[in-house]
This record gives sequence, C-alpha cells and structure tokens, in this order.
Amino acid sequence: MSQVLQRTSATGTRATKVIGALAILVMVWVVVSGLILTPQDVVQGESVRIMYVHVPSAWIAYLAFIFTAVASASWLISKKHSMGFDRFAGASAEVGVMFMAITLITGSLWGRLTWGEFWQWDPRLTTTAFLFVTYVGYLAVRRLEGSAEQRARRSAVVAMLAVLEIPLVHFSVVLWRSLHQGATVLNPNGDVKMDDLMLFTLFSGVVAFTLVFVWLVLHRQRTMLLVDIANRQGLDAAIAARKTEGSVR
Amino acid sequence: MDLTPRTSETSRKPRRWLPIVLLSLVGLGGIVIVTQFLTSAIDYYCNVDEIGVRSGCKESTRLRVQGTVEQGSLQKTGGKTSFVMSFNNKSINVVYAGDPGGVFQECISVVAHGRMIDGTFESNRIEVKHSNEYAEKNADRLNSSGSAACSQAQG
Repeated sequence: MSQVLQRTSATGTRATKVIGALAILVMVWVVVSGLILTPQDVVQGESVRIMYVHVPSAWIAYLAFIFTAVASASWLISKKHSMGFDRFAGASAEVGVMFMAITLITGSLWGRLTWGEFWQWDPRLTTTAFLFVTYVGYLAVRRLEGSAEQRARRSAVVAMLAVLEIPLVHFSVVLWRSLHQGATVLNPNGDVKMDDLMLFTLFSGVVAFTLVFVWLVLHRQRTMLLVDIANRQGLDAAIAARKTEGSVR
Repeated sequence: MDLTPRTSETSRKPRRWLPIVLLSLVGLGGIVIVTQFLTSAIDYYCNVDEIGVRSGCKESTRLRVQGTVEQGSLQKTGGKTSFVMSFNNKSINVVYAGDPGGVFQECISVVAHGRMIDGTFESNRIEVKHSNEYAEKNADRLNSSGSAACSQAQG
C-alpha cells in the first residue's frame, strides 16, 4: 500500500503539464483580446468585457455538473462500483461550484453596471442561485459520515436529480419573462448577433476555461485518490497494530 | 492476555457536525428561494400593452412594466426623468424621480417599477433590459443617428 502511495504521491503527469501550459497560453490570449483588442459594445460600453468570463464560466459549470451526473450514473450502473467514477463526480462538482460562483459574481457586477442592480430575483438569476445552492448541498452530502460506498451512493442519487435543474436554468429566459437577456449564441433561431472578434474571444474563453476545468479535475480527483489510499492505509496500520498487540500479550 | 474491554472514549470518533449543519442550511436556503422568490420571479414583468388587461397586471397595484423608451421622448427636468415607454403599439408616460444612470437611454428596453397614478406611471426604480445583440461601438453611426441603442435598433 505504501508503494502505491509513493507511486501516486504527485498529482501531475506529462499530460496535465501540457494541459496546464495550453490553458495559460489561451488564457493570456483571452485577457489580451478581451481587455484590449475587442471593441466596446454599442450600448454596454466597456462592461461587455465581463461577458468573456461570465458566459464561459457558466457553460463550464453546466458541463461540470453534467459530467458529475454521468460519472454518478456510471458508478450506480457498473457492477464493480469503481470508486474512480465517484472521485471524478466529486472533483467535477467541486470545480463546477467554483465556476458557478464566478458566474454569479461576474453576473452581479455586470448587472450593477447594466441594470443598475447587483441582484434581482428574476427567473434566470433565481434558478441559477437554486442550482448553486443545490450543488453546495451535494458537496455537503459527500462529507456526511459513512463509508466510501455510502458516500458514493448518496451523492450519486443527489447528482442525478440535481442535473435536471440545468435545462430549467438555461431555458428560464425562454419559458418565463426574465430581466436577463436571452441566449445569443445558443438562441433557437441560430442567428448570432455579435461582433466577430467578440464572438471569437468568447469562444477562446470557453476553450481556456475548459482546459482549466480539465486540469483542475484531474488534479483534484488524484488528490481524492491519495486521501482514500491514506485512509485505507491508516485502517490497515491500525488492524496490524491491534494484531501485534494481541500476539505480544 | 488482558481481555478487559477497552473504554469507548478511545475508539469513538466525534460526530462531524459541520456537513450536517451545512446541509441543513442549504435545505433551508432552497426552501426560502422556492417559496419566497420563484413565484414572483416567474412573472417578472407586465408588458406595456398588458396593463389592466392581463391577470396580475392591475393598474391599482404596484407593477413592473416592460417596454422600449421611445426615441425623442426622454426629458430630464427638475431632478426628474420622464419618457414614453411603448410595447406592441401601446404607450404610457413614465416619470422617474431621479436619473436612472448606467446605460439607460432612448430606444432601449427597460423594466420600470412603480404605480399608475392618473394615467402616468410613477416609477421609483428603472432597470435596463439588455438585448441579446452585441455590436461594435461606432462613433460615426452614433453621430448620425442619435443614441447608441437607436443606432443599433436601426441597424
């Protein structure tokens, strides 16, 4: 067991280093393009630049929660109940919550500049807040007492229910009357009304945030693996110590 | 061999209260959001043409009304901002006590909070409802056609 721990004591690999380097490169481009090269918006002016962080972080949060649900379903369905699925689900949810928090913070800043308010309980904002709270709850469920299998089972069920909120959040601006604007890129008409460089920078942001997401999830789920190994190792050591204690007496 | 049972203090792990407290708070937060805010969120506003017509848009109650600020109607006098807000060929006069600030301008969609009093909508809060269109700020176009939102609306 200690050999396994030693072999896996680092969470980085050549692949994660490449992903990390790519993430930095694309992020630098997004910062330069978003802050300097892209023009001001005709109505919003400079505040449009918040979009290059706000929209990609929202999309990546959705993606993270979908991955969490898929990994959770895989854990429930698979006969072996591989804990790798559970660790991936947990890591993805943690990173997703972080991106959702970024979405809410940047959205509030944009709202103050455009609407004149940091927050309004309109359909999009309300459902997004609800989604965020749900996944904070999911993370709390993962920390309840119990074995690793109990943790995996409980959280998998929560994850598969929570993911159903995502369509509600995304289509809230279509289903109900919202202060938040409708979708620009994923609008039902397919007619994207956005300046070309703005659109390119937005997609660059999506690529950069995706790379950051992958990098963080890979490291986090390996950290979780190390914690699980250390816990098991601690249990083995305790049993061995008890056996030794018994044989001496 | 000593077969005396070990005391429970040495083996019992303390209960982890933090996740339980956090989960309870999350549950409470979810209930508050659903019961207090989602109901009002679903019908966030009435359109101008729905005042006094649609259910929940009675003139006698406090309303959130959505419409477009008509070009050439915006006036700022005596610390008040007045404009005509229209939607679906219906218009109302709006008076706001103050300067909405921000990106408020003519030809833009807004949500005004307030009450209808003697045929005028007296508002104490204006929120700009941004469209899903993004275009480059162009000084030439702005000079030729007035405000930024009007130039965007006209293409």
